[in-house]
Amino acid sequence: MSEQALSRALSRRSQLARLKKQVSDLLFHAYGFWGYLFLYFPIIILVVFSFNDSRSTAQWAGFTTHWYADMLKDHQIILSLWNSLFVAIVSTTVSVIIGTLAALAMERYRFWGKLMMDAVLYLPIIIPDIAMAIMLLIFFDISGIGFEPWKVNFFGAHLAVPYSVIIGHVAFNISFVAVVVRARLAQMDQVLEEAAQDLYADPWRTFWRVTFPMLLPGILGGALLAFTLSMDDFVITFFTSGAGFNTLPVRVFGMIKKGVTPKINAVSTLMLLFSLMLVAISLILSRGGEKGDSSGNPMF
Amino acid sequence: MSETYAVELKNVVKQFGEVVAVNGISLRIRDGEFFSLLGPSGCGKTTTLRLIAGFEMPTSGSVRIYGEEQGYLPPYQRPVNTVFQNYALFPHMTVAQNVAFGLEMRKVPKDEIKRRVAEALALVRLTGKENRRPKQLSGGQKQRVALARALVNRPKVLLLDEPLGALDLKLRKAMQSELKALQEQVGITFIYVTHDQEEALVMSDRIAVMNEGNVLQVGTPEEIYEHPQSRFVADFIGKTNFISGKVAVISGDRVDFRLPDGTMVAATLPEGAQVSAGDMATLSIRPEKIFVTPEGEQPLVGDAEALSQVSGRLVKIFYVGVERRYIVALADDTEVEVRVQNLDRRSRRCQPGDRVTLHWRRAHARLLKE
Repeated sequence: MSEQALSRALSRRSQLARLKKQVSDLLFHAYGFWGYLFLYFPIIILVVFSFNDSRSTAQWAGFTTHWYADMLKDHQIILSLWNSLFVAIVSTTVSVIIGTLAALAMERYRFWGKLMMDAVLYLPIIIPDIAMAIMLLIFFDISGIGFEPWKVNFFGAHLAVPYSVIIGHVAFNISFVAVVVRARLAQMDQVLEEAAQDLYADPWRTFWRVTFPMLLPGILGGALLAFTLSMDDFVITFFTSGAGFNTLPVRVFGMIKKGVTPKINAVSTLMLLFSLMLVAISLILSRGGEKGDSSGNPMF
Repeated sequence: MSETYAVELKNVVKQFGEVVAVNGISLRIRDGEFFSLLGPSGCGKTTTLRLIAGFEMPTSGSVRIYGEEQGYLPPYQRPVNTVFQNYALFPHMTVAQNVAFGLEMRKVPKDEIKRRVAEALALVRLTGKENRRPKQLSGGQKQRVALARALVNRPKVLLLDEPLGALDLKLRKAMQSELKALQEQVGITFIYVTHDQEEALVMSDRIAVMNEGNVLQVGTPEEIYEHPQSRFVADFIGKTNFISGKVAVISGDRVDFRLPDGTMVAATLPEGAQVSAGDMATLSIRPEKIFVTPEGEQPLVGDAEALSQVSGRLVKIFYVGVERRYIVALADDTEVEVRVQNLDRRSRRCQPGDRVTLHWRRAHARLLKE
């Protein structure tokens, strides 16, 4: 009798606990939902209105892809896209090399002034873009480097890219590459390099056969980050490009001044897609890197 | 003509800043020997190994391998290979690629590499695992890959840094005998670093016991166990009893020793020990070398009359299957442990609280200076 009462009381108690959990789960999910909505609703609007069959970006008037066609016919946009790609590729390549070397120096060697270099290396991550942009602008001006263009034929597109823009992008990308590569290096057991040396590999071959392959996921991750940042950068490009040079973000900024049309939405949607793609690749690569530690990396 | 040693260290000192890791040690390791560096952590044994491998450069002193001064040669120019504590296998390479690494670096022809890798993997019984990644192997298998990766290069000396430390007890025991058999098979000089005294005793031809950057004693396992020359060695290797007292008479290697309660016992003086009559000193006696009987009785051995006798009170008995451990308190409350195989009937009549007599042979009581 009393046993039954006890078990009933217990089951009521567990029911109550279950109800509590359901309510808290619901609240938790709702909170998450609103958070995401807040973050992504503007993006959804942006994408949706890139298909709007009207010059207005506020009122829906039916589906069209003609803004995309319009965009592709706009030589200014295409040229700025090539400019963006060129700047991103060159600055990424240079900053990956310098950034990786910097990471190696910081993680593997002791030298005079290391502490100061540690601070200076990460400065571009911390300081506001605008401060960096103005610093670079003043630097190019007074150093006499100026805004000379690099005239280059890039896959058939005739570009004139100021060296100053590329140098500016390299300047901030080095920091990001160095941070990512250094994190990877810190995880890597130094005894592996000793093992290679014990097996007759000199420092050069130790680097290429052991250190580099193990760092590669980090280096690629850093490269993708640098590439994305370079493609997206507006402030530093705007200040270091002199007159008449546009990357895609700078071009979009110029178009907005003449009024917002769904064509801008279309360009932005494309940039968004591109960025998402890069993030996806970098995620796959970094997962591949983890696998390299556990069960073999299909990349190598 | 002087003998050429596999490895010869002369007055090697290694300092890290203010810290002296290795304090002027000299060692001669013979060709084909299984030589262990044994000591507690921080005693300098791993640093010594790293000095031989070339990962550390000596602050002063000389390191010779087969007569050749290694000086400041980097590790990749030394004729030694290392098995690292946590194996240090290259995670981005397969088992076969790991094992082939050293041969590739020395530009051995491809078909020879293939043959030797297969041989090395067969030697450690890993044939068929060539294309596995290190992460897909068990601890014991990784251990064997690390061995194969070193042995495939046919080094003159193989250095092993606590290679069994990461394995569980059972596997460690199995690997101990496997490693010893392997060493006899390949005939390479092994220098083995360990803090596990039992492991060192089981496997080694000779052992160097180290503490605080110094080599305290070098000898065969039996010499080290039976004839420790210092309190540290006696204490670190196996279990021992220390009994304090005063040196009464010295004649040759025989010492008459007075315990605090006035009992006189006989002890042996280790070679080269600097002791004179009247000094305070300590006896070291292994627990299995002592007989325990009810008070006034003799143990059932032929030379019972010649044994030293000390009386005490039985405090406790621990039964551990193969043996019984008797804890006996002497007059000054020094506790002495006695281990008796479960064969001896005389000791079995003793019960906790009883008065008992301890007996030992002079040779087994070693005098160590305080």
